Amino acid sequence: MELSARLRAMAPSPTLALDQKVKARIKRGERVTPFHLGEPDFDTPVAAAQAAIDAIHAGKTHYTQAAGIPELRAAVAGKLRRDQGLAYAPEDVLVSVGAKHSLYNLFMTVLDPGDEVVIPSPYWVTYPDQVRLTGAIPVIVPCGPDTGYKLTAAALKEALGPRTRAVVLNSPQNPTGAVYTRQELEDLARVIVGHPDLLVVSDEIYEKLVYGTSTHTSIASLGPEIFARTVVVNGCSKAYAMTGWRIGYMAGPRPIIQAAGDFQSQVTSNPTSIAQWAAVEAIAGDQSPVEAMRRAFDRRRQLMVEHLSAIEDVTVMDPGGAFYCFPDVSRRLQRPVLGRMLSSSAELAELLLEEAQVSTVPGEAFGAPGHLRLSYACDDDTIREGVGRMRDLLAR
Amino acid sequence: MQVRGMAQRMQQLGTETAFEVLARARALEAEGRSIVHLEIGEPDFDTADFIREAAKAALDRGETHYVPTAGLRELREAIAASIHSSRGVLVDPRRVLVTPGAKPIMFYTVLATAGPGDEVIYPDPGFPIYSSVVRFAGATAVPLPLRESNGFRVDPDELAALCTSRTRLVILNSPGNPTGAVSTDEELAAIARVAERWDAYVLSDEIYRPIAYEGPAPSFYAQAGMPARTILLDGFSKIYAMTGWRLGFGVFPPELVAGVERLIVNSVSCTAPFVQRGGIAALTGSQAPSVAMVEAFRQRRDFLVQALGEIPGLHCLVPQGAFYAFPRIDRFGTSQEVERGLLQEAGVAVLAGTAFGEAGEGYVRLSYANSLENLHEAVERIRRWCRDR
Ligand SMILES: Cc1ncc(COP(=O)(O)O)c(C=O)c1O
Ligand SMILES: Cc1ncc(COP(=O)(O)O)c(C=O)c1O
Repeated sequence: MELSARLRAMAPSPTLALDQKVKARIKRGERVTPFHLGEPDFDTPVAAAQAAIDAIHAGKTHYTQAAGIPELRAAVAGKLRRDQGLAYAPEDVLVSVGAKHSLYNLFMTVLDPGDEVVIPSPYWVTYPDQVRLTGAIPVIVPCGPDTGYKLTAAALKEALGPRTRAVVLNSPQNPTGAVYTRQELEDLARVIVGHPDLLVVSDEIYEKLVYGTSTHTSIASLGPEIFARTVVVNGCSKAYAMTGWRIGYMAGPRPIIQAAGDFQSQVTSNPTSIAQWAAVEAIAGDQSPVEAMRRAFDRRRQLMVEHLSAIEDVTVMDPGGAFYCFPDVSRRLQRPVLGRMLSSSAELAELLLEEAQVSTVPGEAFGAPGHLRLSYACDDDTIREGVGRMRDLLAR
Repeated sequence: MQVRGMAQRMQQLGTETAFEVLARARALEAEGRSIVHLEIGEPDFDTADFIREAAKAALDRGETHYVPTAGLRELREAIAASIHSSRGVLVDPRRVLVTPGAKPIMFYTVLATAGPGDEVIYPDPGFPIYSSVVRFAGATAVPLPLRESNGFRVDPDELAALCTSRTRLVILNSPGNPTGAVSTDEELAAIARVAERWDAYVLSDEIYRPIAYEGPAPSFYAQAGMPARTILLDGFSKIYAMTGWRLGFGVFPPELVAGVERLIVNSVSCTAPFVQRGGIAALTGSQAPSVAMVEAFRQRRDFLVQALGEIPGLHCLVPQGAFYAFPRIDRFGTSQEVERGLLQEAGVAVLAGTAFGEAGEGYVRLSYANSLENLHEAVERIRRWCRDR
């Protein structure tokens, strides 16, 4: 018996082998500097965890409305008004099993086979994978260091065609840490509203983690026309260090939200009731833990950029958001490392793991070879030491 | 607003009427009407204390980060052990995939096995999600009628007659929702031969298996040779009264595991770790609360079925499992008319049999996951309504 064509079409992750090597090493108790991690090393805010425990005690353990409890949908609508100035009603909000699930439900709801979705690279690999699962076609638009790894209005225009259904924007961005300015978003919005039927999927999951002069703007806030075209995706994973709770959400045009809610109701039902109550507290309660975490990330960010910049033939952009650095190592690949020419950043990532016990994610995973992604979701000493070992290796 | 319509496949999506009836019942209640709720498919019991404590302890330990997509190793091992003890089947824990509820397993299974041009046979009346996800995946949904004359059990010959070279998947659900029917071991063995003959996968939804009243319900998964072609669907919602937690699992033939794991990675990432800790406690701790719950269901079933049977014109088979009664009501109108009449005029919320497929016409589903006191009241109201009809 064979798998459905759909399943056979799913390419295995390009970094799966490396991933497994890292996990095996960690399991064996070997020392690995975990720059590959994609989640905050902080704990859930105490008040949110307490809200979950209260929900457990109160017996809030039964099915809830599939789209989420009214209290959470209202809290999210309130948050989007408070933080982004967006006027959504609770009915315009769908709560899902993580922001990834929000994206999945959305793509399943709006994409037909053959539709095109513009995805700027470097990208979070989930976008093209999820788009392909629907039978739609990812149209990858490479965005390099010259534009700060950001999609320009001109490049977007170039990529649009009669079958383009959506464009995915992610600011602050994984893996580069790039943050779009208001002006850049306005330019993109102009192109988008000029193209019939085009939706923007705005993944704002790293919204709270912005540094220096960067500020977060939601493209949905730039006027009624673009508002009507945008689905905002966000969640609790990064802002509140709540990755394991699996609570994400989207807000957008009501017919889409309702249809995505029907889909979720059929294939998943509600997200964990207890986690929903924790999310109400995280989103509507005291926001000071967020700022404490952001400050810590900001300090680590500066430290990591400083140490990476000291490595010869490695260039790194100052990331304005998220918790990643995305150094360009392509110049360094033109000379041998440990007496050997390496053909790709993937090989370099392997060598770094083998010889320097530093775990990174190669740019190949984000459609941007020639780079490495390093997360600074770890303490200062780990950053100094890990980047130090990397520098030593690259000097040889 | 300028956005275009939804994807084509959205037109294939069915509805789960239970939630619509619940909403209508709530609206009537808001007007001050009294409604007895027999439409909901979840235990009225709370999750056992020791399960809740285990989850709470996990939260206290900070088990709130991403975990492996397939599930915590300890949970997958506990599930494999429980399948061994409950069905006598040795299961490699690596074939167990944990998901937020058992429902996602239906969708993943259909996505992994069937596409356009393929046929999937599903029970009718049956859980409405089966046919909905089959159509959503672009495959052809072929109803397998379950007949009252056969106790609403699958007739293996009738199944065989529906199979073709395009049959990729057969969906079974014993004990069944909405009928409470339990297939016999001989019937399951005959179904196994049919699956072999047509080289089809089988999705065996055994979520109600521990809720059986006439001795243990036979398991399709335990039939010789079947684990190689069967996806076992099971979960914690019903027997551990953990519906809101969202914890279920599938056990897959080896060739499907990696693909389904990738579907999980690309949709939900993983299942909340503290929820999984609750699941481990449920499987490894005392089963006394579950036993007590099933005993309570049995008393309610005995009362309800007998009382319904005494209503002239109404006919109700004795359900052998799950917590639903599925009486024939065709003397009083169509399923929809009776559903509406009982809700509006009698103040009893039930589901039309047609919510579970065309073959459900003439029946309604009553969930007895409600107190004996409320069941008494419901029967009284139904009796009066039938008398005046
Ligand atoms: C860009 C981006 N979007 C969304 C997510 C999804 O987060 P979750 O599903 O945990 O809410 C991630 C997580 O890595 C991410 O990097
Ligand atoms: C037959 C059947 N299978 C599976 C489920 C799914 O349960 P859950 O997703 O809560 O685990 C249900 C719930 O109503 C059901 O009736």
